[in-house]
Amino acid sequence: MFKILLINGLIIGGVYGLIALGYSLIYRASGLMSFAQGDMITLGAYLGLTFYSILRLPFFLSFILTFACAFIVGVLLEKGVIRALLNKSVLPIYIVLATIAISYIIQNATQALFGTTTLRFPQVFSTATLTISGITAQTEAFACLVISLALMFLLHLFMTKTKFGTAMRSAAMDPLAAESCGINTSMSTGITWALAAAIASIAGMLLGPMYGVYTTLGSVVGRKGFAGAVVGGYGNMYGAMVGGIILGLVETFVAGYWTGTYKNLIAYAILILFLFVKPTGIFNEKAIQDV
Amino acid sequence: MAKLLELIDFHYYYGNIHSVKGINMHVEEGEMVTLIGANGAGKTTTLQSISGLTKRKGIQGRILFNGKEIQTYPGSKVAGLGIAQALEGRHIFSKLTVDENLRMGAYLRKDTKNIKDDIDSVYKRFPRLLERRNQLGGTLSGGEQQMLAIGRCLLSRPKLMLLDEPSLGLAPLIVKEIFIAINEINREGTTVLFVEQNSKIALSTAHRGYVMQTGEIVMSDTCKNLMENTEVKKAYLGV
Ligand SMILES: Nc1ncnc2c1ncn2[C@@H]1O[C@H](COP(=O)(O)OP(=O)(O)OP(=O)(O)O)[C@@H](O)[C@H]1O
Ligand SMILES: [Mg+2]
Repeated sequence: MFKILLINGLIIGGVYGLIALGYSLIYRASGLMSFAQGDMITLGAYLGLTFYSILRLPFFLSFILTFACAFIVGVLLEKGVIRALLNKSVLPIYIVLATIAISYIIQNATQALFGTTTLRFPQVFSTATLTISGITAQTEAFACLVISLALMFLLHLFMTKTKFGTAMRSAAMDPLAAESCGINTSMSTGITWALAAAIASIAGMLLGPMYGVYTTLGSVVGRKGFAGAVVGGYGNMYGAMVGGIILGLVETFVAGYWTGTYKNLIAYAILILFLFVKPTGIFNEKAIQDV
Repeated sequence: MAKLLELIDFHYYYGNIHSVKGINMHVEEGEMVTLIGANGAGKTTTLQSISGLTKRKGIQGRILFNGKEIQTYPGSKVAGLGIAQALEGRHIFSKLTVDENLRMGAYLRKDTKNIKDDIDSVYKRFPRLLERRNQLGGTLSGGEQQMLAIGRCLLSRPKLMLLDEPSLGLAPLIVKEIFIAINEINREGTTVLFVEQNSKIALSTAHRGYVMQTGEIVMSDTCKNLMENTEVKKAYLGV
């Protein structure tokens, strides 16, 4: 029982971690919270479904195309809405409100296009289940865990080991200094939003086979990712990964050992608890306190 | 000597606030020029306008670098022309190491293999940075951060180096060390324009000086003459 819960917790936690990453990247780069972040998951799920199930493209190609499309949506969102509003020097709260509007637009658009019924994401692997050290689970679920962890690792490498990734972190830390070093901070912020959207879309594509695809998939799971980001330390990349995984584990263990009814409530209770007791999160991220 | 930098009837507006009111100044190639003045005179605004860090729409007038108008360029593009700036308050990337901070200074450079040598020469110039090369920028002392800010500029191999109050908040001994380094950098061939509130050290380091007062240049001369000027003596040197 323990081992099964552990694996299941890690699987869903990995997805939460990916989503949390998006929230933290955006906060770091722009000092904002995007309510549309969860809907990038929905978008990813529908994009994945379109490429894989409707257009019958190979899974890997669908995966890449989903990532690329969401990346572009992220850039457009930042350049077309966020920066456009910033240039008008409006208060940050108006930008956050705008992201709520975007969120509903995405939900309604996907509903108009795909309807209200939950769509089934077809099986990806030929073997339906896989047994690893005595634990049996959907093959897609294992793949989900592997892909989440791999993406986190890749992102870590990109942000810390490449010149462009370091430049993006610099631009988030100190835009003025970054600009004076020749870093195009406007482009860097755009790419951060794009990455956040692309990662969330992958989360959506991973969730599809397990949860099915529906228009509010993202807003439900997105909230968990948000909670994970706060628990880890809002704005901290590693905090997001760890916070997401912890939340997934707690939720799964609560459901497994105690009650499934309250597992969501527990997740948000943890969120509130952290905001009161340790707003800087597990990774002691100062970003929240400083402003 | 050729004019490397020239400001022609330069104004800056923060919305309705007219902060810089039509100044003319220039820096010749190889020169070291200082811009002094009291708080709020408009020194930072001027310097950051040159380096493309102020909002472009606030600018009126022209900024020429090597004869080319650059007042519409964004900061990252100005940096590409060979203008580096050590910002007021140092602006070190707090969560990057000393080494990474320096590398960011070389962000636009294509000659990657020379970067390592340039980093080493910064460490030779500022041995205190070498000892701390893997330390996070945010954990350095003020003096060390200023050295790093200057080092980061050098990593872009600039033609023109702009420094905004390099002495800000530093102990006299460190200030001296910093200005010895600035002097060396200039003698090695980099043109320097720096802003200072410490007029004494500014005028004894630079070749020429401009005195700025509430958005206007009220005096400009060689530093030697400025130091002997009675008004400057009274208002800026506390004599
Ligand atoms: N972002 C801004 N918005 C509005 N006004 C500004 C802004 N930045 C500067 N100012 C105003 O422009 C004028 C010049 O400021 P600036 O920072 O250039 O002065 P300074 O000479 O560098 O002063 P200090 O020696 O204190 O650094 C000041 O009156 C200041 O209040
Ligand atoms: Mg200033």
